[in-house]
Amino acid sequence: MLQHLFKLIWNKKGTHSLLIIEILASFLVLFGVLSLIVFNVRNYLQPIGFNYEQVWNVDLAKNQDTVEVARKLTSVMQRIRSYKEVETATRMSSNTPFSANQVSGAMTYNKVTVGADFYYTDPDFNKTLDLPLLKGRWYREGDRVAKFIPIVINKKLEDKLFLNETSLNKVIKIDDKSSYKVVGVIDKFKAKGEFMSDNPGVFEMLAKDDVWNSNVLIKTKRGTDANFEAKLVKDIAMMLPGWGIEVSYLKESRLNRHNLTLVPVLIFLIISAFLLTNVALGLFGILNLNISRRKNEIGLRRAMGATEGKVAIQFLGEIWVIATFSLIIGLLFAVQFPLMNVFDLDSEIYITSIFVSIAVIYIIVTLCAWLPSKQASRIHPAIALHEE
Amino acid sequence: MLLNYIKIAWKVLLRHPFYTFITLFGISLTLTVLMVLTSFLDHLFGTHYPEVNRDRSLYVATIIQTDSARTSMSSGPATFDFLTKHVKSLKSADKVAIMSNFNFSNTYVNGKRIKLNTKYTDAEFWEVMGFRFLEGKPYNDNNIKNSDHVAVITDALRDQYFDTGGKSVVGQNIEIENINYRVIGVVKGSPPTRIYSYSDIYFPYTAPKSNYQNKGLRGSFIAIATAKDASDMPVIQSEFDSNISRIPYSEIHTDKNLTVLQVKADKYFDHFVNTFARSSTQRFMFYTVVSFVVLMFMGLPAINLVNVNVSRILERASEIGVRKAFGAPSAALLWQFIIENIFITFIGGAFALALSYLIIYFINSSGWIAYADLTINVPVFVISLAVCLFFGLLSGVLPAFRMSRLKIVDALKV
Repeated sequence: MLQHLFKLIWNKKGTHSLLIIEILASFLVLFGVLSLIVFNVRNYLQPIGFNYEQVWNVDLAKNQDTVEVARKLTSVMQRIRSYKEVETATRMSSNTPFSANQVSGAMTYNKVTVGADFYYTDPDFNKTLDLPLLKGRWYREGDRVAKFIPIVINKKLEDKLFLNETSLNKVIKIDDKSSYKVVGVIDKFKAKGEFMSDNPGVFEMLAKDDVWNSNVLIKTKRGTDANFEAKLVKDIAMMLPGWGIEVSYLKESRLNRHNLTLVPVLIFLIISAFLLTNVALGLFGILNLNISRRKNEIGLRRAMGATEGKVAIQFLGEIWVIATFSLIIGLLFAVQFPLMNVFDLDSEIYITSIFVSIAVIYIIVTLCAWLPSKQASRIHPAIALHEE
Repeated sequence: MLLNYIKIAWKVLLRHPFYTFITLFGISLTLTVLMVLTSFLDHLFGTHYPEVNRDRSLYVATIIQTDSARTSMSSGPATFDFLTKHVKSLKSADKVAIMSNFNFSNTYVNGKRIKLNTKYTDAEFWEVMGFRFLEGKPYNDNNIKNSDHVAVITDALRDQYFDTGGKSVVGQNIEIENINYRVIGVVKGSPPTRIYSYSDIYFPYTAPKSNYQNKGLRGSFIAIATAKDASDMPVIQSEFDSNISRIPYSEIHTDKNLTVLQVKADKYFDHFVNTFARSSTQRFMFYTVVSFVVLMFMGLPAINLVNVNVSRILERASEIGVRKAFGAPSAALLWQFIIENIFITFIGGAFALALSYLIIYFINSSGWIAYADLTINVPVFVISLAVCLFFGLLSGVLPAFRMSRLKIVDALKV
């Protein structure tokens, strides 16, 4: 039966070639869009790892000021912590949560090198963002005197860098003079929001005299409003004349980041939905015409004793065979993506989207062929043969 | 003759509403998307308010410092100092404006917080840009020389900050980070998609916190040089290039590793492409990907139309047979089908025009892009018509060609 169907299609490959190209192109479009969606959905399903609800980000720009910057920053931090509306506050490098900035570097241990995001923070960082530790502890003021630079890493980096070993208290050499020591491990820190993939990350303690990293994260008490914010900005501006001060809420920045991811996905979704509807309508029309043109063939088959079901299955089978042809060609392109690791994405993403697109194509094709083949099967042999 | 063909086409359309619907659906939606897209691109790259001189402007927006092997790189806007030295001094340019990239700030009024984009500019900025002043006037060189704390604001900010009840706000103060600025002008705002003119509030570059005093190469300023006439632009570019090549060694090699300086005065679109495709191979990749996506997008509906047309046209075999039997040459039949298809395409185009008008109206009024001014203007409409024709031919020629070569006997038999 199947062989027979293949032969039927193969004999008419000229007329079917356009149909095959059409299904092939739809498959490729679907594959591209689904890869994008699967990538984002997979990321979204992993927790973000920290709490941003009540947290504000104060961005301080020192502009032309060069005098005693470190001392000024320290006293501003003291002032901020002294407000009764402030629960905790921490200094951080410019790659604050949901910002567009990124600081990346590489880390080598036992000849394994892993690229990671670097975050420079204070001892209060994990309290401000409710960042739970899997093991070990967060670095403290007391660590400043230690021989090694204390760092906290995330689970992803631990898995990649230390493979099966435990990472706590391991020393990682940077150069001849300095090295890191792992004091704690956190689970996840997806700083760019839910749609970011869980990248390796390192938290390093800010030096006492650091003047370059001047973002401040403030966790406020519930019910704090813009009046306190205005007062805060006024007070800081008084202490730091000539500096730029910008306050943003992490909650709002997060929405902005989300839109940056969601808007393109949405546009692609709308466009591909329109393309697929277009293709489906076209397929339906073509199948309808083709089948009505083969009335006498159907009549003959029915007269020879074929049941309604058998006739319907034949037409469905034909379109399935055509779809399979196109999908096989499409797969030749699509499998390159997981095999060659294009865009450095997990091959699981590509494989999932290949399977989903195959399923969607078969569903569309079946839906389009269902009604025409049902109609065909109901043709009465006497009428069909009479027309002939 | 033509009228006759169109009449036939109309009758054929009415005979099978379902197929007509499929055809029109494909044509009109594809064209709608294309039209909205072109008008959006025109909004992004075309010459519109307030950048009314964009077609004769050159942008110096990015400085790239690399090492000789191009492995490490540092890039971004330039310092005010650098731009004054090398762009302001261009003799062939008509006017040169220097402005900062936008910065963010907040201002507070009555316990409410207003988010602000701020921009520091020189006085020539107002001549290069064509802002419409609703109240007051721009700051001039005197304000800049005296480091006056003055500002020009947009109408949107005026409405948020001041509660004037229709009175002029010129001369009133606006407080930002503890500094009072006197409002001297109110302009109609610029859409945020035009990043070099977009801001909520504009300061002279000598106002506090602009960092115009910074020395070196990299800072936060960009320059726009206009030519008297668009044909002068290559002259300005070559003068700029030779200026750059004459920068003394010591000035470039401030960083130990990064010894190569790349900076260009580009037209707006080139400058835009250059921000993410710097080398020629990257640009090639960019254009390949874009054309592939466009091809996919236009190709699928086109293949679909061809498919539908190929199978449908068989229906009319007898009509063709009769015409041929009475002596119509193949060419006449071919023309008939082509004209018929173009006719259908234009009907789809008319639908698409109405649809895009609706969508654009929706985008403009939704506030999705502030001050959006998407339009279906003449170039956009002409491009869409060309696309219409392309589609009509693409989906019409193949089936028509096949049909016109059908033998009379076969045609009459079916």
